[in-house]
Amino acid sequence: MSLARTLRNMRRTGVKEWWRQLQYIGDAKSGALIGQDQFGNKYFENRNGEEEVPGRHRWVDFAQHDYNASQVPPEWHSWLQHIRKEAPTNDPVIQNLTPPWKAPYYENLTGTRGAYRPYNTVAPKINAWEPKTHART
Amino acid sequence: MAFALRSAVAQAGRQAPLTSQLGLTASRSLHTSNRVEQAEPAQQAPVSQEAGVPITRRAQSGSLQLSLETPQNKAEYVLSTLDKVTNWARQGSMWPMTFGLACCAVEMMHMAAARYDQDRLGVVFRASPRQSDIMIVAGTLTNKMAPALRKVYDQMPEPRWVISMGSCANGGGYYHYSYSVVRGCDRIVPVDIYVPGCPPTAEALLYGMLQLQRKMRRSRKGVLWYRK
Repeated sequence: MSLARTLRNMRRTGVKEWWRQLQYIGDAKSGALIGQDQFGNKYFENRNGEEEVPGRHRWVDFAQHDYNASQVPPEWHSWLQHIRKEAPTNDPVIQNLTPPWKAPYYENLTGTRGAYRPYNTVAPKINAWEPKTHART
Repeated sequence: MAFALRSAVAQAGRQAPLTSQLGLTASRSLHTSNRVEQAEPAQQAPVSQEAGVPITRRAQSGSLQLSLETPQNKAEYVLSTLDKVTNWARQGSMWPMTFGLACCAVEMMHMAAARYDQDRLGVVFRASPRQSDIMIVAGTLTNKMAPALRKVYDQMPEPRWVISMGSCANGGGYYHYSYSVVRGCDRIVPVDIYVPGCPPTAEALLYGMLQLQRKMRRSRKGVLWYRK
């Protein structure tokens, strides 16, 4: 957060990347590029406790302008939130745990035409009263 | 142009073109009890993730929203830019009206507390309906509370949004068959965002706020006015 840290990270990452980080992350960070997922999001890590506060040492640089936390696929999410220690690029457990029935991951489509719409399959439990009168004889 | 637009809307409601690509559920126009058979996808296109085209963009292809977001002449360009400025201002200071009714309100307070710190998004609780623009219905809405909820909603100035938080507010939840509970607060007020959970975590509610920001960003009221 300090000015010295900001200037140091600007010198490390370059002015263009520094400006992008200030616009999107709101902070100037520098670290090692760990990997990139299928959407183009880049994942960084800086484990030096002097440079990054622990807890902020893993971060993602989103590929899209309209970014969203659901754009992170689950493998990388587990790395980013410290559920797994190793990144999926060099984690043999994650790499061997790819079941054949796994559907391709896509981000939250709420608000678009691909949004999830539930539907009911059971008979309605509440029925409107339909008055039936017999004709008077 | 109006006719072309109307036919586009009519087609947009039918089926998203996304269905054949990813097997996503296409949007259905009505909530019915009878299961409608999904049309079989004609051809199974291989799923390809181009880095350039995000899936949200492809999911909106051919929709009215995408047509609103792409300006067709200079006037629309100016108006859509003005709309974007308005949206930016709105999403930067969302003031929710606290309508804490039950245990969900505790999670709503957690969102305001230090860990999930809603103030960094400009979300500040405002205890007056006349100065707030979002209402978070947090908790079980009883029959006795429903007129009060509607009254508070009517007192809020336009534009206003409603977040329904938790199972009870979404659809009655645990108290769905109770004699004294409204089966979902969308029977009383129009709801923009439903946050599922019983109660939803503060993180989920904050994600709901972010989704509401997304919804605000989609608004193109000026362009809509111009096209009409």
